[in-house]
Amino acid sequence: MENNQQESLLQFHVDYDGGNILRETVRWSRFLSIVWIIGIALGALVFVLAGSAILAAFSTMSPVLGGLASMGGVIVVVICLIVFAVAGYVVFMLYRFSTLTRKAVDQQDQALFAEGMKCLKVYFIINGVIAGLSLLFSLLSIAKLFHS
Amino acid sequence: MEDQHIPSSPNQLDNFFNIVFDDAIRSQIRSAASWARICALCAFISAGIGFVVALFARPSATLDTDGGGVSSLVRTTTILSAFISGAISVFINYWLYRFATSTTKGMDAMDSVKTNEGFNDLRTYFKILGVILIIVLSFVALGVLVFLISLGTRR
Repeated sequence: MENNQQESLLQFHVDYDGGNILRETVRWSRFLSIVWIIGIALGALVFVLAGSAILAAFSTMSPVLGGLASMGGVIVVVICLIVFAVAGYVVFMLYRFSTLTRKAVDQQDQALFAEGMKCLKVYFIINGVIAGLSLLFSLLSIAKLFHS
Repeated sequence: MEDQHIPSSPNQLDNFFNIVFDDAIRSQIRSAASWARICALCAFISAGIGFVVALFARPSATLDTDGGGVSSLVRTTTILSAFISGAISVFINYWLYRFATSTTKGMDAMDSVKTNEGFNDLRTYFKILGVILIIVLSFVALGVLVFLISLGTRR
């Protein structure tokens, strides 16, 4: 009895407003994830069908891409596969957060809610790492600008 | 008197769902909020850096051939686009930062009002991203339509 009381002191419930807010949140996140999944799939398809032509066209504009093309097709394909895989995983986590949280709120299921929040955490962890890396590249570009 | 319904536990009250923010879930949400804050802060700094780079970047030598007319136009456009994209990025990520702050406070104080505020900010963040995505997709669809029409008129 005492244990139950202690446990209830260490937790609080999702209220009616919270449930509605979560439903609305996952509606938008599901829309975003579905559009991104379609976008990534289309991007992968375009890369598979016209990858070499796109690289050849870009290599005339950007020396970096030209260098990548000269490194060999395998490396370019591996880099693109990694990019598509990471993007796909991030979007999949957002989709899982949306579906699991929606189900959890509808069925009032504690385990599904925990799983949904775990997916949200993974989504933000990967996004945080990507944001940190892009910030690093931005800092490098600003350092390059003031050194030249 | 017998028909009167008395809830036996707080779980059965109409205002509450049968879902609790237990220790494990609170830890997951806290972690998500911390990383969301990192994302937002990185985006704020990146937007500032992007603007500074656009402001101080030297124009390309190939654009200086006409006495600087094209060069200054390109420079103004670059600064303006960096400012607009930076402002949009700051506006979007402001909601993510609010989500991180409110949710962490809500989880620490076990305050459902703060937690709801946090998730409402997350809702606004996803909503703004969704609206921007719809606008971008509309422009893409319009571009494809114009391209197809121009192909049709050429034949």
